[in-house]
Amino acid sequence: MLPRSPATASHLLRSLQRARGFSSSAAAPASAKADEGKIVASVLFERLPVVIPKIHPVVYAFQEFSFRWGEQYRRQYPDDVLGKADARGKGDYQIDYVPAPRITEADKTNDRKSLQRALDNKLYLLLYGNTYGAPDGKPVWHFPEKVYENEETMRLCAESALKSVIGGLNNTYFVGNAPMAHMVIEQTDSSVSSFKRFFFKSQVIGATKYDVGKCKDYAWVTKDELLEYFPEQKDFFNKMIIHIR
Amino acid sequence: MASNAPNIVFRHLFKTLTVSPALASGLTGQHHQLQQHAHVSGTAKGKAKLKSGQPLKRSSISKIGTPSSGGGGGGRGRREAIERITQISDSCLNAPTPLRHLSPKERLREAKREELGLISKERQRELDMAKAKAKAKSRGTGGDDGGRVLMGPPGLDYISLGLVDEEAIPKYELTVEDGRQLAKEYSRVLMRQHRARQTAESTLLKLKKEAIAALPEKLQAAALVPDMTPFPANRYMATLTPPIEGYLEKVRDAAKKYSVKEKLR
Repeated sequence: MLPRSPATASHLLRSLQRARGFSSSAAAPASAKADEGKIVASVLFERLPVVIPKIHPVVYAFQEFSFRWGEQYRRQYPDDVLGKADARGKGDYQIDYVPAPRITEADKTNDRKSLQRALDNKLYLLLYGNTYGAPDGKPVWHFPEKVYENEETMRLCAESALKSVIGGLNNTYFVGNAPMAHMVIEQTDSSVSSFKRFFFKSQVIGATKYDVGKCKDYAWVTKDELLEYFPEQKDFFNKMIIHIR
Repeated sequence: MASNAPNIVFRHLFKTLTVSPALASGLTGQHHQLQQHAHVSGTAKGKAKLKSGQPLKRSSISKIGTPSSGGGGGGRGRREAIERITQISDSCLNAPTPLRHLSPKERLREAKREELGLISKERQRELDMAKAKAKAKSRGTGGDDGGRVLMGPPGLDYISLGLVDEEAIPKYELTVEDGRQLAKEYSRVLMRQHRARQTAESTLLKLKKEAIAALPEKLQAAALVPDMTPFPANRYMATLTPPIEGYLEKVRDAAKKYSVKEKLR
């Protein structure tokens, strides 16, 4: 099913001759006029996985089988020859360590504010507060974003958006100058006209804790939880974020 | 036959290149040496009369290479060291394997020799090992796949770290058919993952293109500029276990202690 949908989408693109955004109201084609609508730069701030993901049992079984099959035909060298590898020279020190567990405490308590939670997944930052274009000014879960106001490039706008939330850009890395996806948000009932939201990708580098300000609440969520927060835009986020299981 | 064609080429070349008759004779003299006088066998290295596994002609280790054995002073110490090293190298070269890999011809030969009553050393070893296994099996319970093999150093192997669910691993015997089945399933799983990843990546690229196209004109040019700044150096890759807190300071202290000790000496 998945390989067929990009083909149909591109076909529609050509037929409509316009940029077709992923609007929250299902099939209405969006008219993208640059001068009318506002542009919002929002940031997908992700923490890359710290630990390698789980291994499929069939893969493990095959590797074990091939290892044991090869072991049958492997020469058994005498132990005093094999033991040379463990000899330590002068000046080498060996500290025995206990490896840290892959499931941390934050996993057990399901603490969404900590970055140590799902170590084998990517974690994305979500804020809860007032944002541009929210219906009736109510607080809503959203990505850190900022309305574009005549800066040089959109990436600078996105960077200032993240700066205002986190306080500094020392521990972030923006990937590329171009946005990675866009959404067209149509409003029918509120005073704000339809606008386009561009997503920029940035990654957590070298920090294990951030002070997130400018919002009532925040959370670091995995992809599945993200889909819970935005039930209408599931397809869009499925396409935008890769999650290899 | 294959050697004739290059000879013809050489002859033509020398006919065109000869400058003087004196040179010509010298060149044709060399030309005979360039001719192939022996056939090339299967490998380019020449006739392989040496079978693998037999001691090579220069296997006796020269006396110069023994300072690491720590032999004491005098010729006697050196001789013992040489003997020890030759013993180690022999035991390595003739190290046994649990199962012998025999081609069908070799198996036939072994079977015929057994009928005659001649049993080679290795065959004898195999029979002894089979007897010992049968005894162990009859005493203990007969396991189906012989238990799990530890993959990796104890404590850091995949099962104890929770990377694989032990129960979810399918049971198999060490036979060829089971191996083929496992290989099929393995290939299926990996290909499925690969295809999913390919479609996801191409979708990402498509979304990016659409987003750039949806930008207003002046910003599109800025967005299309490739960002050549290098990745930050402290962006870590995913590892097997998460970093242990306080480990870095321990390592640094240990390094300091060792360096201080050496300075005193």
